[in-house]
Amino acid sequence: MATTTAAPARTIFRRPASTTGFWSWITTADHKKIGIMYGYTAFIFFILGGLEALILRIQLAQPNGTFLSAAEYNAMFTMHGTTMIFLFVMPVSAAFFNYLLPLMIGARDVAFPRMNAVSFWIFLFGGVFLYTSFIFGTSGAPEGGNLAEEVSRLGAAPNGGWFGYAPNSGTRFSTGTVMDYWAIGLQILGLASLISSVNFIVTVFNMRAKGMTLLRMPVFVWMTTVVAFLLLFSLPIIAVALFMITFDRTLGTLFFDAAAGGDPILWQHFFWLFGHPEVYILILPAMGIVSEILPTFSRKPLFGYPAVVFAGAAIGFMGFGVWAHHMFASGVTPITQAAFGLSTMAIAVPTGIKIFNWIGTIWKGRITLNTPMLFAIGFVAMFVIGGLSGVTHSIVPADWQQTDTYYIVAHFQYVLFGGSIFGLFAGLYYWFPKLTGRMYNEATGKLHFWIWMLGFNLTFAPMHWLGLNGMVRRTWVYDEGLGLDSWNMAVTVGAFIIAIGLLVFMGNWIWSKRRGPIAPMDPWDARTLEWTIPSPTPEYNFGVDPKVSALDDFWHRKYSEDDEGRPVRRPEADQLVAELEDVGLHPPAPIHLPNPSYYPFLVGLAFPILGYGVIYNDKAFGIPLMLLGVLVLVGSAIGWGVEPLEEGHDDHSDHDDDGEEG
Amino acid sequence: MAEDHAAHHPTPRQYVNIAILLAVLTAIEVALFYVEQGVEEFTTNMASPLLILLAVLKFVIVVGYYMHLKYEKSLVKNFFVIGFVAALVLYAATLFALGIVSGVF
Amino acid sequence: MADVAHVDDHHDVHESTGIENRKLGMWAFLSSEFLFFGALISNYLLFKGRDFGAGTVYPRELYDIPFTSISSFVLLMSSLTMVLAHHALATGDQNGTRTWLLATGMLGSVFIGGQVFEFTEFVLEGMTISSNPAASAFFMLTGFHGAHVFIGILMLLSLYGISRRQGGLTEAQGLNVELVGLYWHFVDIIWIVIFTIVYLIP
Repeated sequence: MATTTAAPARTIFRRPASTTGFWSWITTADHKKIGIMYGYTAFIFFILGGLEALILRIQLAQPNGTFLSAAEYNAMFTMHGTTMIFLFVMPVSAAFFNYLLPLMIGARDVAFPRMNAVSFWIFLFGGVFLYTSFIFGTSGAPEGGNLAEEVSRLGAAPNGGWFGYAPNSGTRFSTGTVMDYWAIGLQILGLASLISSVNFIVTVFNMRAKGMTLLRMPVFVWMTTVVAFLLLFSLPIIAVALFMITFDRTLGTLFFDAAAGGDPILWQHFFWLFGHPEVYILILPAMGIVSEILPTFSRKPLFGYPAVVFAGAAIGFMGFGVWAHHMFASGVTPITQAAFGLSTMAIAVPTGIKIFNWIGTIWKGRITLNTPMLFAIGFVAMFVIGGLSGVTHSIVPADWQQTDTYYIVAHFQYVLFGGSIFGLFAGLYYWFPKLTGRMYNEATGKLHFWIWMLGFNLTFAPMHWLGLNGMVRRTWVYDEGLGLDSWNMAVTVGAFIIAIGLLVFMGNWIWSKRRGPIAPMDPWDARTLEWTIPSPTPEYNFGVDPKVSALDDFWHRKYSEDDEGRPVRRPEADQLVAELEDVGLHPPAPIHLPNPSYYPFLVGLAFPILGYGVIYNDKAFGIPLMLLGVLVLVGSAIGWGVEPLEEGHDDHSDHDDDGEEG
Repeated sequence: MAEDHAAHHPTPRQYVNIAILLAVLTAIEVALFYVEQGVEEFTTNMASPLLILLAVLKFVIVVGYYMHLKYEKSLVKNFFVIGFVAALVLYAATLFALGIVSGVF
Repeated sequence: MADVAHVDDHHDVHESTGIENRKLGMWAFLSSEFLFFGALISNYLLFKGRDFGAGTVYPRELYDIPFTSISSFVLLMSSLTMVLAHHALATGDQNGTRTWLLATGMLGSVFIGGQVFEFTEFVLEGMTISSNPAASAFFMLTGFHGAHVFIGILMLLSLYGISRRQGGLTEAQGLNVELVGLYWHFVDIIWIVIFTIVYLIP
């Protein structure tokens, strides 16, 4: 990769210029580097969340376990959920969006490259901030409770569940600082995603290649767009809720204090108004990924592309209308229950449409059962199971029985792990060659898949009947003799099998990245634009701006169809691929890219500083920290605002006298 | 940027007129408030819809002319309206579920 | 490998929709703000009618409608000066732009000053943010609105400062004036809603 030089800037500190080396990562505005950072960071959190799960399962392997205290258990399940949702699935989806979105629409970067970087840094620092509660957090025992007075470090983390229900999350029942870390940490993380969502929406609408109308975009891009809108409209709601709980805890407001006339149910409404769209945010990227993989390895187009797109949009839209189904047992009125029961049943319809279309895609296709395809098909199967249990929750009286039992856990683990995570891993294998220029080891990949099929189902299938047999959620012990013992042990064994499978994956990734066989530009004979450029992806993405004239344009340039609709490779296909690679490696004209910048990193740093200041506002260093955070934030924002996206011009506007337009 | 602005740009005179209109509407609102306070026959049920109507008018005028939405492409209008409608529907439903039949009364 | 220079392209080569990136982004962001302020307003609507027992000082008892009306008027007029600033720049009048930007910032500051005065009065009359849930909701709603105004003032003053330092704003920077304008008007329309729903409606 060429090292670039930039024209001298009129800023106080010299503008960073390098595109290689450590500092190039800190200052990058390149969507691919940002995507890679998201991916590795999210993966580290995946391991942490997985360790939390294993710790939980050790405690629950036997009745009346003594591995964890109740306080530690609460912290572990809270952090497991919070980590997996906010620090793994969402960021790893962001990794995919970041890396792939511009490639799939034929762009050189996203609409706002530095904003893209700041989203990553805010996420990273927010996640680290949340985890420092293990070091600095205090989790006092509420009066009259049955938790230990002294809570170990393992218990000194947020412990109110990933959903932080009031009034438990208030100062009366959660003394100490851990729930402040939770509320402020989540607030910071939400900001990162909100910024991303604006970025992706503008990118999709404005930066598509010539000829790529909205209905010629890959399904993955559509799902990304729907997710961006879901984030855009749901995050402000939880932002308000988190401000409310933070103010209740630090300023003495009374929103959720029932004794003073506040309303704890209000928390539930606001939380789930966000929380339900959130789960569609978690699943739609995987659905998008699978919609790309299934056609490729069936050598058939996606069945019913418009229906899949429309169903995805419908799921997003309807996802805003079902939130109170998380509250059927919270004392809402019968009208509310009936209305939301109905809307929840209705949302199964677009979901079903997608499932039938995926099945229709592989039906009578020429199927290659490699690792990405196995995970993709596994996704469909596991997601159907999870979706079916989900529909049973929509029947309100049944849900009263199911709520707060392991049956609910079984549902969401099937859709989140069997669904989202299987889908995301399918994507990791599928795009590995594009990212690294090498091929992963196929046998090891298949091994990973089968270990996970075994481990995942062994872990989560028993939870269906454990729940229906009465095992409640979030309980740190259960009594013996209730018929729960042996299945809990099986679940724990399954969890460790999952861990082994993950180690297999990691080994494959690390080894193949360095020693895997070199992969061609288009190893899967695929359909979308990212396969028309060299692997690993050049810094500038495309040698020349692509033009498309159809959905799956690349495929149609390689293949025509015979009378029975089967693909027939065109004689010029191989040469086309070779030419694309050549122009990708040797662009004919100079290409212009945004300069690196320090400011996104600095802006990201400001938020945890502010956060610590707020939490410790009663200490001597609290207010100064807050002021420092504000200073860093405002200063960096102004510096950023003044800094041009690229250097080499006297001011922003002379694109007129330049003549070169990238 | 220059193109679509030059085409549909109210003049400063028109902007000032709009501002005067907004001020008048505000004055009417405040007057209504006092009428509602003082005149018992002018019940809550009459004042509130009128006040809302006036607020909506001001809202639409500022959005349409000052924010220029009247002259923008429909994609921009759609972006803006979606959030507004979503907020209206979701929060009305939430307040209904919380036992406040209508948000205002 | 290509010689990749870092030069131009911060202004997108072609916008598929014909609307500038930053403008589209600002409209999307403002749309999301409806959800933010909607939650705060709903919060207030939930608590405003509740009974918190004897001795409660309710927000509605303390409102000074004439005072707040004047504040509202000031904010409305600041939208006028904002749009005049944008117009001035479009016609190349850099001095006028600066004047109107400053005027907008100053009117916004008067509004904030009025808010601070009003809140101080309320506190002195016995209603703080922790007095009762309705008070909490009132202060949170108006407080966040005021914070938005404050950020807007910072942006206006930044534009003013940049214009002074450079001797005028370029056409590309003019887009920023438009964007700050959109934000400013949005904050104004939120106040239009707040003034009616919180202060005027019984």
